[in-house]
Order: sequence, then structure tokens, then C-alpha cells
Amino acid sequence: MALKAAAAALVMALAAAPCTAQSITAEVDVTGGVSTENVRAASTQARVFGASASDWRFFAEATWGGVDGQESDAFGAAYPYDGRIRPMEVYAEKMFRPRTYLLGFRAGRYRTPFGISSRGEYGYTGFVRAPLIRYGEHFALSNTWLEDGLDVAAGWPRLYVETSLGVPQDEGELLRRRGLDGSVRIQGYYKSLIVGASRLYTGRDRALGDYVQGRALFNGVDARFTTGGVQVRGEWIFGRPFDGVTTTGGYLDLLVHRRALGIVTPVARFERLDYAAGRYSLFLHRVTAGARVQMPGCFTGQINVIHQPAGLAAGRRNVMDAGITCSVRR
Amino acid sequence: MGYVWVGLLALVLVGGGSPGIEVRGSATFKDRPLADAVVWVDAPETRQESPGPEIILDQRNLSFAPHVLAVRVGTTVSFPNHDRVFHDVFSFRDGKRFELGLYPVGAIKHVPFDRPGLSRVFCNIHPGMAAYIIVVDTAHFAVSDREGNFLLPNVPAGTHPYHAWRPGGPILNGSADIRTGSRLDVQWR
Repeated sequence: MALKAAAAALVMALAAAPCTAQSITAEVDVTGGVSTENVRAASTQARVFGASASDWRFFAEATWGGVDGQESDAFGAAYPYDGRIRPMEVYAEKMFRPRTYLLGFRAGRYRTPFGISSRGEYGYTGFVRAPLIRYGEHFALSNTWLEDGLDVAAGWPRLYVETSLGVPQDEGELLRRRGLDGSVRIQGYYKSLIVGASRLYTGRDRALGDYVQGRALFNGVDARFTTGGVQVRGEWIFGRPFDGVTTTGGYLDLLVHRRALGIVTPVARFERLDYAAGRYSLFLHRVTAGARVQMPGCFTGQINVIHQPAGLAAGRRNVMDAGITCSVRR
Repeated sequence: MGYVWVGLLALVLVGGGSPGIEVRGSATFKDRPLADAVVWVDAPETRQESPGPEIILDQRNLSFAPHVLAVRVGTTVSFPNHDRVFHDVFSFRDGKRFELGLYPVGAIKHVPFDRPGLSRVFCNIHPGMAAYIIVVDTAHFAVSDREGNFLLPNVPAGTHPYHAWRPGGPILNGSADIRTGSRLDVQWR
């Protein structure tokens, strides 16, 4: 039902946009990739966004991703790869700036506003995989969790609170039960340091069978710091996907975007995840080194070398992922 | 009577010089109107320009606005973020080189452009975002509108070199004879 509603909203947005929009932009990303975990993947995203003359903004995105090979979290950085075409984010938003204040409303389907959550900060940044703590099948807070709801941001640019009330419309394989859930995030910045804290309270995870009881609750802190083209960012998330277990973990990313490196943006990630669930526990850590390479024309390459403990995914300790994306905007 | 002449002299001195000519023109590419072409004329200032409004390259709706910004040498351009997502503005190739780092909604950064040239501006997070800032060493410049039209105010009469640039195209150079009612039409073929 909600999927149909979101699809209808997408169609309506696409249909209405040319009539009402002052500006409208369309983008398409097409990606192909391989991993030495015996995974081959392809995906495409199409998005359209714009603004009306009164600066009501709309954003609609559809995605398809398919993967062939064995089970892995490769290529799951920002989108699901399960062979289905579906809308991702479809929303309208409006922002007001009375004097020095900031007040923003967003309604529709959007990524769960918890921590570092935007599409642009995970997709095509140089990392082929989502952080362990951001991958749903690790009983964590998935990057592809979505809300159908209303999001309000209020405060000042330097310090504001963002609150979301919505019904989960998750994509991926481990989905939350649909019911009203909420999140609160506070974010501030000082010079080049941006920090935030988030809390998410949600319904039960419905995909794991009868033994799952209780509501999920996650808390997190995040920070980003940029200087001289070097960005350090990270999150630490702790909570429970349901009663009786805990999921704790985080990651630290380094992204080096400097003129001297030309078309190459080196990236590195250090991360861990502890899922404490008795004999089902997972204790994972992973180190990733890689790069995003700006290639001629519309192409961007991403290559990652990953060291991970045996037992994770396909059981290989050292893995290489590579992908190439063509992005076109009109 | 003497007071009148003194008054007129004072007016000229305060004004910084005689008023120039308003030159209208158009830009075309393959005989079609061309938006976002930059035209500038190398001519002395007709009067001292007072500081204008803040010059802004906005980040709004996952795009830069305007797509082409022309400024005079010495101008400081403001880069506000009016999106709910972060942006990371940079220019690494020609002209002014800078990297502003990640900044959130409501934040604003400033970059002085202190020498002529073309800067290609991108966002490190959103690869589809792109803009041009062209810095010219003259007070007489304009950017063509959607219909390809532009207006160069206060150009002194006389024959002056002019230049025209468009995204992805070569710079045109020529000489313009500026008189009352004259036009300056630039054409890329």
C-alpha cells in the first residue's frame, strides 16, 4: 500500500513538475561492478528534482539494483540490490529562514534521518560497501531504511533539532514492522567541525520470526571534520534491534580530496560491529582502503581493498571490489 | 553663475567621470540564442563604481545558481548552502583554486577572486553540480540571459577590445566601436 502510494507520488511529481516547477533537473546513474567475493552487480538510479517559483522543492528517485553470485554486502553502500524497481526517496520540502532561524519541513518518503544518512554521503563517495553498522543484515541501522512521514528541522544553522515521525518503508532484506516510529537528531557545527547526536525509536523487526520481541532503539553520535581537502568522519551507534540483544559499532572514514592528487580521491575506513546475541553473536571488524577515480566523460571508478576477519560474508579475509559509474545530469 | 560651474565641477568629481554608454547585445551559437555567455570590454571606468550587493554563488536544490557567474577582479564571492544536505565546494583546475570543505544548511563560506581567469566549480558530494566563475579585469562585463541578450552599462565611447566566453567554447576576441545606440553581438558558429 505504502509502496503504491510512494510510486503514485513519484508519478505525480514527475507529471506535475514540468507544469509548476521553476527549475527541474534529471539525473541518471548507471553502475556495474565486480567483487572477488564472487559477486557481480549492476544498478541504475534515476532522479528528478526541482523547485517551484515559491521555492517548494521536490525530489523523486527510483532505483534498480541486481546482484549475481554469493551473498555479500558488496555494493550495498546506499541502495538495495535485490532486482526490484522501486521508488527510494520521494518527497517535497520547504525551508524558511526567519531572521537568523532555520525552519524546514519535509513530507513524503525519505531516508531515516539518523546520523550520517544522506544518499550523497554514502553513494559513490569511494566506498563500495555500507559501514558494517549501517548494513541491515548485521542487525544494525540500515542505510536503506526509509520513512513515510514528516520531518521538521528547527533552530539555527549552527545548532538545530530535526524530528521525524513516520511509518517505516524500508528497502533491503531485514525490514522493520510498519507502525509509527520516530527519530530525533541534534546537529551543530563550529568552524569545520560538524557534530550530531541521534535517537531512533521504532517498531519490531518483523523479518526474524516469533522469537523477536520488543521495539528497536538506537542511539548514535557522529562527527565530520574537514581541513585542506581532508575529511575525517565517523559514527558510533549503539542500541538494540529488538529485546535481549544489543548492536554496537561504528566507523571512522578518511577521504582525501586534494588538488595534488588529481583525479584520485583516496579513502580509508576502519570499523567494527558487535552484535551480542548469545550463540548468534557477531563480532566483526573490517579495514578498507580504496579510491574514487574521476574518469573521462561521465565515468567515475571506485576500487576498494578490504581486509576482514574470516567468517564475514563469503569468508574471505582479503577482498577487492571495483565499480564504475556513469552519471548524467540534464 | 560661478556657483553653478563650481557645482557642476563638483558633480563631475564626485561622480568620478562622465557617464558611459549603455551597450546592448546578444550572444548566439550556431545562430541560436545563447544563455550564460560572458562578454566583457577592456575599457577604462567611466566612474567610480560603488560596492554592489553581495556576490553569491548559491547552492540550492542540488545545483549552483547561477550556472555562470562573472565577477570583477578583487570580488569576494559568497557560497551559501541552502540545501538540507551537505555540500563540499571546490575548484581544482584553472583560475582560483580552493576547497571549502563540508558545510551544512545555512552555513556560508567566502572566496576572494584576486586574478582574472576561469574557475570551474564542483561539489565533491554531488558530481552533477557544476558552475563557472569567470573573473575579468574590467568593470564592463555582462552575462547573457535566456534569450541570449545582455547589457553592458557605462561603457565609454570609443573603440575597445572585447572578449566573449561560453561554457565549453573558445574565447572570442574582437574590437567594438562603442557609440550611442551601438550594439555588440557575439556569435559562435
